[in-house]
Amino acid sequence: MTLLHSPILATPEKIDLTLGFLPLMDCAPLVIAKEKGFFSDVGLNVQLSREGSWASIRDKVMLGLLDGAQMLAGIPLASTLGLGSPQVPMVTAFSIGLNGNAITLSHALLAEIDELGHDPEDTSANGLKQLIQLRKANGRAKITLAMVYTYSAHSYLLRYWLSAAGIDPDNDINLTVVPPPQMAVTMKKGLIDGYCAGEPWNSVAQEMGIGSPVISGYQIWNNCPDKVFAVLESWHNAHPATHEALICALIQASNWLDQPQNSDEALDILLANAYLGPALSMLPQPVLNQGNRLFFRYAASYPWRSHALWFLEQMQHCNQLQDNTDLHQLACQVYRPDLYRAVASKMQLPHPTIDFKPEGFHDREWVLQGAAGAVTMGSDLFFNGGTFEPRRQPC
Amino acid sequence: MTTTQSQSERVLVIDKDTARSALLEQALTDQGYAVVSRLHDTEGLIAQVEQIRPDIIIIELDSPDRDVLEHMATLNSHIPRPVVMFAESGDSQTIQKAIKAGVSAYVVDGMSPDRIQSIMDVAAARFREFQALRNELNDVRSELEDRKQLEQAKRLIMKHQNCTEDKAYTAMRKMAMDQGKTMTQIAKNIISVLEMLN
Repeated sequence: MTLLHSPILATPEKIDLTLGFLPLMDCAPLVIAKEKGFFSDVGLNVQLSREGSWASIRDKVMLGLLDGAQMLAGIPLASTLGLGSPQVPMVTAFSIGLNGNAITLSHALLAEIDELGHDPEDTSANGLKQLIQLRKANGRAKITLAMVYTYSAHSYLLRYWLSAAGIDPDNDINLTVVPPPQMAVTMKKGLIDGYCAGEPWNSVAQEMGIGSPVISGYQIWNNCPDKVFAVLESWHNAHPATHEALICALIQASNWLDQPQNSDEALDILLANAYLGPALSMLPQPVLNQGNRLFFRYAASYPWRSHALWFLEQMQHCNQLQDNTDLHQLACQVYRPDLYRAVASKMQLPHPTIDFKPEGFHDREWVLQGAAGAVTMGSDLFFNGGTFEPRRQPC
Repeated sequence: MTTTQSQSERVLVIDKDTARSALLEQALTDQGYAVVSRLHDTEGLIAQVEQIRPDIIIIELDSPDRDVLEHMATLNSHIPRPVVMFAESGDSQTIQKAIKAGVSAYVVDGMSPDRIQSIMDVAAARFREFQALRNELNDVRSELEDRKQLEQAKRLIMKHQNCTEDKAYTAMRKMAMDQGKTMTQIAKNIISVLEMLN
């Protein structure tokens, strides 16, 4: 197994830490860092606290009951802006992986779309658009789709997919939030017609025979970001060495997770009761990297400021931001690749040296220009051929 | 006659633990608040909240339904919003205390900070009290369980060795001392071994 270099880091200001996570597959880097000793290697004594909702994670981090936590990428951005919460700046210097999501529609809805003569191989929402128009003309109820949280990659991927077919997510359908473990059951009861969620919650619908994934998050946007590890900005300022040690341990854990020979052991650890056991007990065979989920490869753990900008632009599209919000300044404030780079340098790990990258231009692996050492990147296409070219102003 | 009675806040309690929410409802009623509804099954939560139109929602901090409520609040200004939003105007000590007790609240705009604080204090106190009761109950339960196992192990030895109760007990105590284990651990071992033999 390839072990990364263990650097000598400054003494952490705080050793006993509590970090929050939700019982989802991508809590893996936190769990592995604890169970495989990567936290203790850098002198940290970490307790992991399983939480019940993103709101609870956000509140506890804001009030200092958690030192840091796994979060949807939109949460530190929304919290820094005071969207749906008090305005408390957060920062992230570590992305928790790429991909892993999908959009599932109920079999009942898919049957209606099929009746319209829609090509079942077509992954666009064009058939859905047709059905929405027909239902409207017939005076029937709107279709209801669910996501896992307001400020989530799932929400923005779903909106992107719908908008590409000319569906207005705010008016043509009802968009609602359902916690991931309840998604499939809620759809079975007919309360929602489909949803965007992380794996394994799409496979669950398939196994229950009530719905099928129509497009994966990977297909919507190859190697799209999803979650981050975030702390309060004030916490970072008070504990810079502790934060650095955390990032180092999380990089080690992500590298370990992406080695195929470790995946059985990783699942054994994750399925223990303290972590995913209760949440995933109904699945016959959970798979760690379902939906092309990556933790380390293709600079998966690097907090690209361009990713922050993409999320912020989506937030702007759906009127979640005020008109005068400075997106670039916000991406610079919340996403801290500089902190990641400092750790990666000490670990002698090849890493990007730039903060922004364009999306939608690579259909295969490519080598990053603007890196210390050789950094191989993955494809970054959008399903509709779209592109995203952030302005590369310095922060 | 007081005039505030007719303007009493409409409280909705969302808690899957019905015993706890009953306790909380009683406490709030005693304080003169109107608990308009208690939900333990949150299917169709959105429709229920829209119908009930509460001024304040008391909900378990860890409830996954909080993410649902917060999304509703972004779409509809009549829907109660997270109480932490009002921390600046109210008493953040109260909110800290509530969160530590495992309670969270959602309130509508314009509700007086005094009333919010008072309701949250009642909720936090009841949640803490309930947790203490539950811990105590668990202790009593496990003590009973331990005693039952000791008895069972003793009876198995008596039957297997055809000996008296005193002898069986002494044998178990010796095993515990020799192996540096508790009597409960020894009892468990004996039960699993002797039950396999039988």
